[in-house]
Amino acid sequence: MSTKEKFDAIVVGAGPSGNAAAYTMAKAGLKVLQIERGEYPGSKNVQGAILYSDALEKIIPDFRDDAPLERHIIEQRVWVMDDESFVGTHYRSDTYNKPPYNRYTIIRAQFDKWFSSKVREAGALLICETTVEELLLDGERVIGVRCDRLGGEVYADVVVLADGVNSTLARKAGFHGELSPGNVALAVKEILFLPEEVIQSRFNIKEEEGVVIELMGKVTEGMVGTGFLYTNKDSLTIGVGCMLGDFKSNPARTKPYELLEKLKKHPSIAPLIEGGEMKEYAAHLIPEGGFNAVPSIFGHGWLIVGDSGGFVNAVHREGSNLAMTSGRLAAETIIEMKAAKAEPTMKTLKAYKDKMDASFVMKDLKKYRNLPDVLHGNPQFFTAYPELVNKAAKTFFTVDGIDKGTKEKEIMGSFRRARSLTGLVGDAFKLWRASR
Amino acid sequence: MSAVLSHPVNVEEKLFQNRYKVDHGRPHIQIKDAAICANDCESQACTYICPAACYKAEGNHSVTLITDGCLECGSCRVICNEHMNVAWEYPRGGHGILFKFG
Repeated sequence: MSTKEKFDAIVVGAGPSGNAAAYTMAKAGLKVLQIERGEYPGSKNVQGAILYSDALEKIIPDFRDDAPLERHIIEQRVWVMDDESFVGTHYRSDTYNKPPYNRYTIIRAQFDKWFSSKVREAGALLICETTVEELLLDGERVIGVRCDRLGGEVYADVVVLADGVNSTLARKAGFHGELSPGNVALAVKEILFLPEEVIQSRFNIKEEEGVVIELMGKVTEGMVGTGFLYTNKDSLTIGVGCMLGDFKSNPARTKPYELLEKLKKHPSIAPLIEGGEMKEYAAHLIPEGGFNAVPSIFGHGWLIVGDSGGFVNAVHREGSNLAMTSGRLAAETIIEMKAAKAEPTMKTLKAYKDKMDASFVMKDLKKYRNLPDVLHGNPQFFTAYPELVNKAAKTFFTVDGIDKGTKEKEIMGSFRRARSLTGLVGDAFKLWRASR
Repeated sequence: MSAVLSHPVNVEEKLFQNRYKVDHGRPHIQIKDAAICANDCESQACTYICPAACYKAEGNHSVTLITDGCLECGSCRVICNEHMNVAWEYPRGGHGILFKFG
């Protein structure tokens, strides 16, 4: 490749946002170079992982024909846990068994490889095993990138930064500052292999059907965070993540893998994963600062998409769909710019932010903008309440000769002792106000 | 640590399942000034937060770093916000962790 060759766009990164951007632009006939630091797309990427169909349908409508999908989800469980027990809600519906399916479990290394094959089919040029070291600037305007291979410099009208949560390029260029420990979660996970039939019988599902379990409460030792257990075809993924700032200030100095190991040994979890053969252990940061932590996402000659822009809805456990949507909208902005023969100025590229603001991505982040602060400032949601709810269930469901009226009083008393009546009302109000 | 865990978790056993292409002699993360870790950092939080246990607290209150098992998450850099003592880059193209599943 000649380094003098100029592209319409360079996309840095081949995760969901980068692939969405590169695919959309290549499909529209733009000359696209995509640079990935991993040996293959997906080799650096980590997710739970759930794929929400809608965002991908808008990019590749017939993705179900050949995408590597594990199981479509027919049941969502949310467990609030203490050390011995859990109180859970399960939602299972046969409507989730009617195609087109709403969401799937996926294995990211396989899925990203597939998505990347579509990007190349659409006509983009992909270069792997190449780390972009910095952005090339002409004054304020980004004009290309410098790589650690290929003899260095490549040029384009626009550089799309899909370089993930650590976003080293945007930080080096001064587009935004360092991540704050209070705005980012560290999650660790393992993949455990089990025969398909064993998974199906343990989770009460048929072939191709899947279950996801979100785990809250004492599994995070009072830190703001959650755990998860997802069913793949012949494996389970189990993980737990907490805010980095909470890991840091935790007086117990708990290590992330100790938290994961403790979760795996929980009496309600252990039987579900028993005998699973662990084949990989991964860790990743998740930008969970929400609306208030989203940096500037456009400038002269550059756009930021995906985790690099902090587009994660922590409340609903959504990220890759926001990433793909941001990649698609960035691509559409550049396609329109090329069609209008406009220069890639800040003024032109502001159209990307307008599109994002009008989409569910920024609308959802805005709706929950205060929730990260409320949860962080009120650890009782992760400690006192899970214990109270579990004790209440135990009191209520244990038959021991004590009359039901006395039991009810005991339960109400336990809540009042722990949080006081004004505390209880205040907590409910805080949650309502932050999520309305 | 929780009472549920009767013995320490061996993270090396977990990392042993992973694939790496180590860039020998070219660590992508470096402690900028070892004296800051030893003298100015009370918490040495990297020694318990790093999910691959790359950072070790030594007896003389110094911190050592071996990046071979690094999962490239970025936590060490982010939590070192008081001292900014971690020089953090991605490995050279093609090197480092190679997730088989992700």
